[in-house]
Amino acid sequence: MHRALTLTRRRIVSSIPVLLIVIVGTFLLLEAAPGDAVDAYLLSLGGGDAGLVAELRQSYGLDQSLLKRLTLYVGALLRFDLGWSVTFDRPVLDLIAERLPNTLWLMGAATALAFSLGSFLGIVAGARPGSLTDRALSTGSLALYAVPSFWLGLVLVLVFAVDLRWFPTAGIETIASGKTGLARVADIAWHLVLPVSALGFIYLALFLRMMRTGMTEAWRQDFVLFARAKGLARRRIVLRHVARNALLPLVTMLGLQAAAMLGGSVVVESVFAIPGFGRLAHEAVSGRDAPLLTGIIIVSAMLVIVVNLLVDIAYAALDPRVGSGEAAS
Amino acid sequence: MAGLLISRRNLLLGAGALAAAGWPLRMAWAAGAEEAPRGGRLVVAADSEPRTLNPAIVASNGVFFIASKVIEPLAEAMMDGEGGLAPRLAKSWEGSEDGLSITFKLREGVTWHDGEPFTSADVAFSAMEVWKPLQNLGRVVFANLDTVETPDAHTAIFRFSAPTPIQLIRNALPVVTSVLPKHLYEGTDIAANPANKAPVGTGPFKFAEHRPGEYYRLTRNDAYWGEGLPKLDEIIFRVLPDRAAAASALEAGEIQLAAFSQVPLVDLERIASVPGLKVVTEGYEALTYQLVVEINHRNEILADQMVRQAISHTIDRDFVVDTVFLGYAQAATGPVPQNAPQFYNPDVKPYSFDIERANRLLDEAGYPRGEDGKRFSLRLLPAPFFSETRQFGDYLRQALGKVGIDVTLVNNDTPAHLKAVYTDHDFDIAVGSPVFRGDPAISTTILVQSGIPDGVPFSNQGGYANAELDTIIDQAAETIDTEARTALYNDFQRIVVEDLPLINVAEWGFTTVASDTVLNVGNNPRWPVSSWTDTALAS
Amino acid sequence: MNRVAGRLLHSPEGVAGLCLLVLLAAMALAAPLLFPGDPLVIVGRPLTAPFTDPTLPLGTDRLGRDVAAGLMHGAQTSLLVGLATALVALAAGALVGTVAGLAGGLVDEVLMRVVDAFQIVPGFLLALAFVSVTGASLPVIIFAIALGAWTGPARLVRAEVLSIRERDYVAAARVIGMHPAEIALREVLPNALPPVLALTAVIVATAVLVEAALSFLGLGDPNVVTWGSMIAEGRNVLRTAPHLSIVPGLGLVATVLGVYLLGEGLADAMAGREARG
Repeated sequence: MHRALTLTRRRIVSSIPVLLIVIVGTFLLLEAAPGDAVDAYLLSLGGGDAGLVAELRQSYGLDQSLLKRLTLYVGALLRFDLGWSVTFDRPVLDLIAERLPNTLWLMGAATALAFSLGSFLGIVAGARPGSLTDRALSTGSLALYAVPSFWLGLVLVLVFAVDLRWFPTAGIETIASGKTGLARVADIAWHLVLPVSALGFIYLALFLRMMRTGMTEAWRQDFVLFARAKGLARRRIVLRHVARNALLPLVTMLGLQAAAMLGGSVVVESVFAIPGFGRLAHEAVSGRDAPLLTGIIIVSAMLVIVVNLLVDIAYAALDPRVGSGEAAS
Repeated sequence: MAGLLISRRNLLLGAGALAAAGWPLRMAWAAGAEEAPRGGRLVVAADSEPRTLNPAIVASNGVFFIASKVIEPLAEAMMDGEGGLAPRLAKSWEGSEDGLSITFKLREGVTWHDGEPFTSADVAFSAMEVWKPLQNLGRVVFANLDTVETPDAHTAIFRFSAPTPIQLIRNALPVVTSVLPKHLYEGTDIAANPANKAPVGTGPFKFAEHRPGEYYRLTRNDAYWGEGLPKLDEIIFRVLPDRAAAASALEAGEIQLAAFSQVPLVDLERIASVPGLKVVTEGYEALTYQLVVEINHRNEILADQMVRQAISHTIDRDFVVDTVFLGYAQAATGPVPQNAPQFYNPDVKPYSFDIERANRLLDEAGYPRGEDGKRFSLRLLPAPFFSETRQFGDYLRQALGKVGIDVTLVNNDTPAHLKAVYTDHDFDIAVGSPVFRGDPAISTTILVQSGIPDGVPFSNQGGYANAELDTIIDQAAETIDTEARTALYNDFQRIVVEDLPLINVAEWGFTTVASDTVLNVGNNPRWPVSSWTDTALAS
Repeated sequence: MNRVAGRLLHSPEGVAGLCLLVLLAAMALAAPLLFPGDPLVIVGRPLTAPFTDPTLPLGTDRLGRDVAAGLMHGAQTSLLVGLATALVALAAGALVGTVAGLAGGLVDEVLMRVVDAFQIVPGFLLALAFVSVTGASLPVIIFAIALGAWTGPARLVRAEVLSIRERDYVAAARVIGMHPAEIALREVLPNALPPVLALTAVIVATAVLVEAALSFLGLGDPNVVTWGSMIAEGRNVLRTAPHLSIVPGLGLVATVLGVYLLGEGLADAMAGREARG
């Protein structure tokens, strides 16, 4: 437990400069962008005269210098104030609090799917490396990996929502249904089946191949050879010795994939009209909404840091060889 | 004169000018509504969420799409109404001979959704405190509005400091006159009033809730002034940002209606054959969008009239209509669309598709083909607002390549595009999609007028200046006589077509896809942004 | 090196990957010969079905452009995007990793914090933001995707450098007075390279897919044809003309498969193992 605490403290301290770099970087990127939040708004306004444009810039504080806006922002941040979104005309914190849970459900479920199914199939494939099953699974999962997520999503919708009508085409829950408690959870889960599949199947290949490689390697290790020599049943060797050993790197992979999955959710959330984090990020970029985009990036960065921390702690707990130092960097 | 022009489906403005002279009658408009049952929940696709729902401040189609059911204007566009208008909160209107005043008689017995009575004070407040100082279009239309007198609770007299054409005001009524409740707005910061997000109006539906990223819900206003109206109990606007999602949701029966071509044109033919779904093209007559090639006249090659004419001859407008718009559009002849009969000048000479002539004009202009077959290079910025503007960009690159003009496409997102074209002038040619708002004074003239400050979106930022056109535009702005004013705009069209400050390619309305159970779809010229009082669901 | 090649040719994965990639490269190289000129040119009736017109074997798209020409030229640009991204990411990663590893101390600390910063921001989000604000052209897209991909190589190279740094031949080089940069170039980098190359497969495959996703969101380069933009455009007619997105999709699958298989075979071969089975 002490080790976990030390690890946590060290991680938090080292992430402060990292977050600062991210904040400044995001601000600079949007500053370099052609067109600002007012330009983005003018389209939905359908036009206005020069006076209106200047008034809007002033009311959004865009007439102030970059440095001034940046200091104001960081100052507010220290008070845990994420600022005001120009695009939505609402506090950034509210927006994030509203959308984050949807994305966490999506990512969590997709990760669980990719991890469990991926490692299971990986075990099947790695149980007899080089067999036909192995090759079929390895190649099939790779082919799945090569399908763009938006295309996979659209095809899933056409087959399972439009033709078969097993699942809804889009959304996170039934509209204005008034469901609460378990019924609502079930409703959300039902809506998430297709998007989770679209996102999860893509990452399936990574876990599958990693598991398989790990297993292939484990077969050559002494204790497995020893177990084989002892004449243990193959099934038992696979599960007890080989798979168990191969699982460790997958845990590390989990942390590495957190950021990638968050990025992948941008597209999946667009296809399935899920009001989540990824779609919010896309809207922030096209609205040139610096406070919102920075807020999103800070929160997703913290999310990634937390996931990695959890992974490290889990890793440290699972593998006694790892000290309290940097586990998986 | 300030600017307005616009663009994007959803987001835009459409105004209604529906001349008495009449719309091409595409179908017999039954007097009154189809016999429609009461009740039911209509679920509609919405592709974006406007940041305000106050149409008195932001008069754009994106806002109207949802808010027009809650907040009403003085008058609405109508196919066969007098002057193309149907009374709403105003029962009648009359302009004075000198063009200095207009008197509105207001409807009696109307209440706001919170139970307060609607009076002329609300109209006076909206006009003086909101439309004139704050609204994107009202700033132009009501620039000369001095005062609004309210001799009694149901009369409002608008007084202008300079002659204002009644024709213009009439054409603008459906778009610029959404009335706000004075008792909720007076003495507050109007732009930040909470009612901008949860509007209170006099309309057939009350605003119930907005779940960001998911849906808006409106419920029936039982105290609505229209007898037996509205028909529906509830309208839900479901947010579906991806275009393919609307078609899927319609087919799966999750939504019953998608307007503004949310279902991509390429999918229409197939979806029309799906049992239970219908494609409706009516209802956009006063929401005409124009496909134009904007030109930067600062480029000395493009400053040559012959070069611009050559470019116009290079464009196969029929191909564009058939391929890019799949027939759901009309080839343009000039800056005023053909379905605005009040102003359209049929005598302008269209540019034929004539590659040989284009080549000859370019040779004559002094730009022969080089060794590699190329005459010169241009940077083309297609507006990212519609898939059609982008596709036309792809087409134009190919078309110009055939006459030896080498084109590089520059793909920007919306803010970058607006900045590049309308502020930085960093383009040679651009593809734009202005909307015709029923009167050239609030849509078309700004595209060619000179002296507009940098940064005004959807305006002439190509550095074009033509004294003759400027004079006509100024004259028309203060010509009270409707015929004389129309004649000026006829000249305007003739000169624009000849000199080509910009090239008009096509004109298009949108399409609605709806379930067969939805009744009274598309029965007025601004249907998707009207109040839907008679829209109903068959049981 | 020969032994590596030999082992590679004995691994079925390596051979399959190599074949696929050779085929794709041949397509890319043959594109200008078989379909000279701009593949975006309008050549026929829009939405001609495949196998109906012998001059247009795979039919045409919505504007009447030749799908077969698009497929071949798309191979060129898609492979270019993948390889160029990998090159940029590897070069940047190798540079930063080597400098950080060799310099140590404060320089190392600062550089690694920058690496951290890039690593915790979702790569796709970064690419999306960068392309939106800079404008969608092929070089920008390549650079944007590389922005999210260089941290992996940087970490790997640094780790290798740290482990190699103290080895005898590096120490010896230092003793004979070689400049640190020279040591880096001649001794450290070549040794750190093999594991980094394995990472390349992932980068190439990801780059091709990210380019497709950017096209889906409307952020592709309209002057060139890529498989990603073909799929993104074809998705609107998924029901009526599914081949428009399936044909380039198969190209994408072949590329990713090829790159991965080759990467796998290569990694095995370089690790000095005989592939099994």
